[in-house]
Formats: sequence, C-alpha cells, structure tokens
Amino acid sequence: MTVDSLRNYLQRLDEKNDLIEIEDRISWNLEASALTMLANEQDHGIPLFEDVDGMRLVGDPYRGSQRRPWDRIAQGIDLPRDISRQEFYRETISRLQNPRDPVTISSEDAPCKEITRVEDEVDLLEFPWPYIHAGDGGRYSNLHTLVVSDPDSDWIDWSYHRAMMHDNETASVLLLAGEQTPNLFYYKYEREDKPMPVAIAVGTEPAVQYTSVMWIPTGRSEAAFAGGLKESPIELVPCETNDLLVPATAELIIEGEIIPNIRLDEGPFGDYFGYMHGPRRSMPTLRVTGITHRKQPIIPFCVEGTGVGYTENSTSSMEVGCVGPDATLGLQAGGFEIDQCVPWSSTPRGAYVVSTGNTDPGYLHELANFIFTTWGMLHVDFFVFVDADIDPFDQREVLEALVLHADPDSDFHQFGVETMPKVPLNIYQTPSEKGNVQTGTSKAKTAKAYIDATRGNEDLDTSTVDNDLQNWARSILEDAGAKPDMLPFTDSAQRGGSR
Amino acid sequence: MITFRDHLRILDANEDLLTVAEHVHWDEETAAVAVEALKHDCKGLQFTSTSGEVDLASGIYAGHAQISSRTHQPWRRLKKALDREGDDYVQLLEAVSRRNTRAPDDIILEEPAATIKSSSNPASLGLPTVEPNGRQQITLGLIAVEHEGMTSWAPVRGAIHRRSQLRLSVPQPFIEWCGDNRQASISLGIAAAPLVTALQGWTLDRTTSAVPKLAAALGETAVVDIDGRTVPADAEVRLDGSIIDVNDGVSGPIAVWERGCETVGVTVEVDAIATREDPVVPFIPLGAPLTDDLHLTALVEAAELYRRINGYWGVSPVSWIRLPVEGRLGLCLVSSEILYSGFEWQLANVLFSFSDFFDKVLILDEHTEPDDLARALDDMWVKAHPSNDWIFSDPNAPAASIPRYRRDGQTGSRLYINATWDPQWDEEYIAPRVTFENSYPEDVRELSLEKWDNLDLKEKSND
Repeated sequence: MTVDSLRNYLQRLDEKNDLIEIEDRISWNLEASALTMLANEQDHGIPLFEDVDGMRLVGDPYRGSQRRPWDRIAQGIDLPRDISRQEFYRETISRLQNPRDPVTISSEDAPCKEITRVEDEVDLLEFPWPYIHAGDGGRYSNLHTLVVSDPDSDWIDWSYHRAMMHDNETASVLLLAGEQTPNLFYYKYEREDKPMPVAIAVGTEPAVQYTSVMWIPTGRSEAAFAGGLKESPIELVPCETNDLLVPATAELIIEGEIIPNIRLDEGPFGDYFGYMHGPRRSMPTLRVTGITHRKQPIIPFCVEGTGVGYTENSTSSMEVGCVGPDATLGLQAGGFEIDQCVPWSSTPRGAYVVSTGNTDPGYLHELANFIFTTWGMLHVDFFVFVDADIDPFDQREVLEALVLHADPDSDFHQFGVETMPKVPLNIYQTPSEKGNVQTGTSKAKTAKAYIDATRGNEDLDTSTVDNDLQNWARSILEDAGAKPDMLPFTDSAQRGGSR
Repeated sequence: MITFRDHLRILDANEDLLTVAEHVHWDEETAAVAVEALKHDCKGLQFTSTSGEVDLASGIYAGHAQISSRTHQPWRRLKKALDREGDDYVQLLEAVSRRNTRAPDDIILEEPAATIKSSSNPASLGLPTVEPNGRQQITLGLIAVEHEGMTSWAPVRGAIHRRSQLRLSVPQPFIEWCGDNRQASISLGIAAAPLVTALQGWTLDRTTSAVPKLAAALGETAVVDIDGRTVPADAEVRLDGSIIDVNDGVSGPIAVWERGCETVGVTVEVDAIATREDPVVPFIPLGAPLTDDLHLTALVEAAELYRRINGYWGVSPVSWIRLPVEGRLGLCLVSSEILYSGFEWQLANVLFSFSDFFDKVLILDEHTEPDDLARALDDMWVKAHPSNDWIFSDPNAPAASIPRYRRDGQTGSRLYINATWDPQWDEEYIAPRVTFENSYPEDVRELSLEKWDNLDLKEKSND
C-alpha cells in the first residue's frame, strides 16, 4: 500500500519495531528534544511522544543511520528497507523522471480539515511546538513544507524554511535571499509592498516532505515530483483563508501571510552545521490567518545540529536520500557526464562529492561553474570530484582520493575568493560578516571551492581490479562468518565470483 | 608482554578474529581476501588452510576505519597488542612517544619459541604473494644484526627469490650501521612492541640503534640469543642467515614505512629456518587501504611528531596528533591550543618540516576529541573559511612521500587548513557545539536519561 500520510509512515515503522512510543507525559520544553537527541546519537528507533500537553510530537522521523542514511527515507516511498544505495539512487531518479500532477479534493475529504480555525479563533500556541536547544531564540516548527505562489505565474513553490513562534498568531520565518521562496518574497511581493500568502504544511506525507528539500528547478511543480516519488498523485485541498492548495493528508496546516517590511527576531538556533548559531537576527513576519488540522495531530520536528559527525537526523538523512539523487539528476539533465552527486554524509549541505568519468580539467571547471551558479548552492562551499570508480558514498575512499590525488599546487580551485554569495549561517563568518536584515543575506562574500581528486595522468594507478576475484574473496569472508551487511554485495548474483 | 600468539588468542576470545577454514591458496588468493576484509571493516583474519607450512594471518594490528562510526577505533587492535587496554588515544600516543629504554641487563632472556627445522626452505613456508605471478612475500617482520656487541632491529619487506635466498628492502641507515657484520636473523610473527620500535629506530632517519631496549621498555619484550644476536624470543618463524649482497632496491609494492626513509635492497642467504609448532605468520596485502603497516606507521609517526612538537617551543600546546589511516597518512590532524595569532602557521610548517609523509595539515581546536574523525573532517568543511583558512604555500616545497602526484622530483605547494576559532574573536562570538551536554540544562539531562533508561530498549549497535 502506498504511504500517503505521516501516520501511515509511522505505522510502517511500528510494524518493523522501529518506533519508540513514549506514553509518559513529556514536555515540549527541551525534554522531547533531549530524548530525540539520545535516540539519534544511539541510532535507536524513532521516538513518538504520545502525551505532550495532550498532543503528539515525533522526533526526527526520517533519520537514518550513518551507514544507511537513506533507509527510512526509502520506506517513506514504498521502497524496501534493505535497498542498496545504488538501487535507491537509481529508483529515486527514475521516479523523479516521471512526475505526476496532483489532484484536488474537497475539504470534506481532506484529513487536514478535521478541525478548522480561522482569524480570531486561531491560537498558534495551542500546539506543542518544541523548544529544541537551550539557547534557542524560541520554539520552532522546523520539519514542514512552506507553500507559496509566484505572483507572476502559476508556479507554486514548496520549500523548507523554519519558523519561530512568537505569540498566538505570529511567527518569524527564516528566509535567506538566494533561495526560491525568499527570492519571491524579497524581490516580488515586498517590492510591491504586498503580503505573500503562505501555508505551512506540518506533518505531510513523506513524498511531500522530501520534495520540499530537493533542488527542484524554478517554475517546476514540487507537487508533481512528489507524485512521481509516490507513484500516485498527491491530493491537494484549498486553504480556508487564501487561494493556496495544500497537501490534504498533512497533520496540520498553518495559513497566513508574510508581511512586507516588518521583521521579527529569529534565532539563535542550534543549526545544521552542528553549532549554536547566532546572533539573533530579524526575519520576515508571518501573520497566521487560519489553522486546520487532523484530530490529535502529530507534529514532527528535527533536532538540528545532531546530523553532523556520526549522528544522523532528518535533515542530514534527507540531504543524502533526497537532495543527492535530485542533484544527480539535475547535473545529468544539464548535460554533464556525472555518475553520482552525493553529500558528504556527515556534513549535510556543506560539502558534496561528484563521481565522474570525464576528468578533463576544463570539463571539471565547467561543471563546477555550472554547479556554483545554481540556486541550491548557497549552502554548499565545497565540491570534491572523484573518478567514476570511486564510490562517492564511501567517505574513506573519497578521503583517500583527496589525499592521494588532489595536489595542493594544482587541484584546489577557490572560485571567486571573496566574491561568491552565501547564506549568513556559516559559522566561520565573523559576526560583522553575518546578517543583512533587509534581505537575509550575508554582508560578506566568500569563496566556493572545488577539489579535483581525480587521478591525473601522472598518478595513474596501473592496478586493475579483478571483479571475479573480489567477489569470490567476499564470499569466502561471508562463509567464514563476516557480517553480510559489511560486504557490498548488491544482489545474490554477484556473490561467489569464479575461482 | 602480549606475544603475537597471545594476541591472536585474545582477538579470538573477543570475537574479533575470523577463521577462514576454507582452502585459500597463498598465491594471490589470501591477499585478495585480506584486502576485502580490511576494506570492509571485518575482523582480523586467520587462514588455516593455505598449502604452506605456516598458517597466515592478516589485519591483526589493523583496526576498523573510523570514518563511519565513532565506536571504531583504528588503533584498537594495536592498543590491545601493546597491552595498553585501558588507555585512550592520547595515552597510547604518550606511551609510544616516550621512547623509554630498558637496560640490557633487565631484558628478559628466554629460550626461543621456534626450533630449527632441518628440512625446510623459505619457499615451503607458503608465504603469500600480493600481486599476480609474484613471489612469496615477507611483509611484516624485522631483521636483527649484531654490530660491535650491540644488536639492532629494523623493519623489512621483500620476497623469497631462489631456494634459499631472500631479497629484502631495509632502511639504508640500518645497513650502514651494520658495518661489516652481515649475520642476520629475520623474525616473523612477533609481538607488536618489536615492530613498533623497529619503525621508531630506523625509519625517517631517526637512526636509533637501541631498538631492542626500546621494545623491552614498551612491552617487556623477551629476547633470545642467536649466535650473538638478540632476537625476539616468541617469533613464530625465524630465518637465520647472512647478508651476501647490498644492492639498489627491491621491486613490488612497498610498505608504507618505506615512504618515510631511504632504503636499500639486501640479499640474504638463509642458512636455517626455525618455526614454532603450528606457526602463524601475519602478512600485509601491500598497497591496500587500512593495512597493518599503515596502522603501525601512523602510530609511530604521530607519536614522534607529538614528542618533538610538544617540546619545540618550551611549552606543550598540542593536545594530540593523528595521521588517519583512512587517508593513508597523507593528511595530518593536529589539535592544539592556538597560543597567539599566527601560531597556526608555525604549527603547520613545523609538522611539514618534521615529516615527509604528508603535504596537508588540518588544524583543530584544542578541545576537539581525537577519536572523532567525522567531526574533525566536518570542521574542515564548515569551520574553516574557504577564502581565508585554506592556506597554500608557494610552490617551492618538496613533494610529500604519500601522495601519488609529483613523483618526478618537482616542487609544489603545501596546504594547511585552519579550523580553529580566531583567537582575536570575542568569546561571545564563539559558537558552542550542539551536544547533549551543551544543549540541555542538567535537570533536563538527568530527567531525560532516567526516562530513556526506563524505556527498556533493546541493545542496538551504532555500527
């Protein structure tokens, strides 16, 4: 059966004994987050908090393990839990190549309309938004889909921007210029002094959440790509207080408008780089006009900052499982002969690895140039290019390639030193370099860099890998008792080899 | 002292040894299996059916790559072999870096564990080849030579050539030290301390002849007297003979320690072979990732750098140094207090001066943990400013020995990456890490841990 809601997804986890249902009364005030951090660090099941002021929270529902960050992501789109990473990439890319348009259903049929509150009835603080790290600027919704429309076309954009709750009807939204949704706000709505109608869909079905973090090209419909991922159309339903359509099976919908020229404090926040990021900055203001939700909604959240190093969280896993295949497809669609584009799995968003068969230096320069001019690149500072026979998922192999083949003299290419745009979240920037309150951009520009870790002519490795011998050797180890999951057989046909 | 045989037993008892009972030929096949085991973080291997007179072992001192799991300590098996079980990485580093010696009178003299076998020749041992159509290889052992009443040991790598001859690569300073005395013993299947100290003695031009005394201090190594030479008593196999020729070099894939010193080739005529009952000989699939020689050399080199640098400026700012085996020792990680602005530059360049292995240094804050490689690499990506903190030298530096580029003698650049906080920043600008300890007050931590413990979760490994 297709996974068509967060509840359905959690039920799947439960069936695999992969859900930790916590019946005790838990506070949204750091406690739910602290328990989630423990689950993340210890790679345990997904914690579902059944009683948070009488409501429900789920902590990092899409978190994978460091070895298999894509495995729960895969379950969310009906792929086998034990799917290999190569198969996961192939299947995800194949589905993205076959988008399906969404369908609109009536409010009566939409689960997210079970309870409806508009205007004066709205109470944002009725819900247990978690306070995630001591030192955060406030309570956050940070695992959701932000829905906005382009005022000049039919394009509807889904994206992933956190919101900090201020009072019963206002929140500040982290909009950093350079990305699609912030660009619409800063350079279209606000310049016209118009409020931007928005909806925040909280607890959507997995395919919707996944496409919200992908680098879907401007003008294309995330809803259609989500339908492709799900292999059936996403059901949408009209909002109560604006014209936007939202995913019908979401747990909760916040309707509202982002108001021009009014800013509210946002942050500090323990961010995806793994550091407590400050300073407090001013961000656009969301005024809530309506809230609809399912009965007993389940609110997902991400303990940002845990998804670095050896620990995964929802963001870092989605980066590997969703953005990676999407970026691979994007670069291939751009005409580049790349094999795979993969985030450095312990550093979500900061560094990516691209394996490619064409290692001509001019070609790599063109590829890097293409990559660094796309909108998805604001967060990414580094690309490492490796030969096609290097597994870009295998950080040991990539590190080895970087050490053995990237010559400091000729293979480290800093693009545009102090001329490249960037988001103000990077911790290496001095406080004076961060924050421009008007557009959410960094005052300081930076460099982007690519590292050519491919083998040059002078360091050609003349040894050839005998695949039969390799597979035979693995089968010997497996017969001797080595854990099969340590050995990279992708299917039983590969096992054995010939001797 | 933990002998090699004890170490195998301990690995087995700890379920960290995989016995390959299926017949695997020493000709290329054992190396192929060993390569896959190392690459995929398997247990140590012992082959019990390989045609020759000896059983073979691999990955005995190698540990798992740490890149995917913090619970993997690459130095774990080596630490166990040196009987430093309770030590953390820094304690291990300090123990090796002390370079204490034990007076000759205090060294334990024992009977040799191996006895002479009259019928054997080296080829009958069945040592593994590591490349197609190759010769049987000696990859993890040491050579002992006596000179003017003192014996010293050095690492060797080489192959069996003719029926009774070995062609071995040996540190050049060692052979120069030997002078005219060319009677030699080659010991295979020995404890970790002799191997570590042999690397300390003669590689990277350290030219320390007191190797047996260093070994005795590090691991109370028992020795035996063989025709005036002191050699490790517990060797599984010993080949006694004489060096009959010194020549240019030895072909085939080299051990990583050979990249850190000048070597010469020697031809050894074997007069006698001694073996223990059911001997086991460890070997290295040379040139593969994560091999034992990488682990041994990484520890020795890091310890040497740690010792030298922490005495260099009159103070000891360095918390730890690692040459990650995952990067084949071509990258050096150093965690240090930044004493003053510009100290990072001095630190990186003194490391470059003291070691030939690498041309890339990553400088980390003093509180960075040594057993957290993923986080250290994360800091390289997110904490070092891509414009300002990736610092390249002018292209006048000699090529490092580990990387594959610039093997033609050309000079080039070096790189150090400064992933430390700028000492000029105010404290308030320093972003604290998101950790359980930093992110929650004590009462929330205590309550959460209590609730977590009460959840009665099944044990789950993070591996």
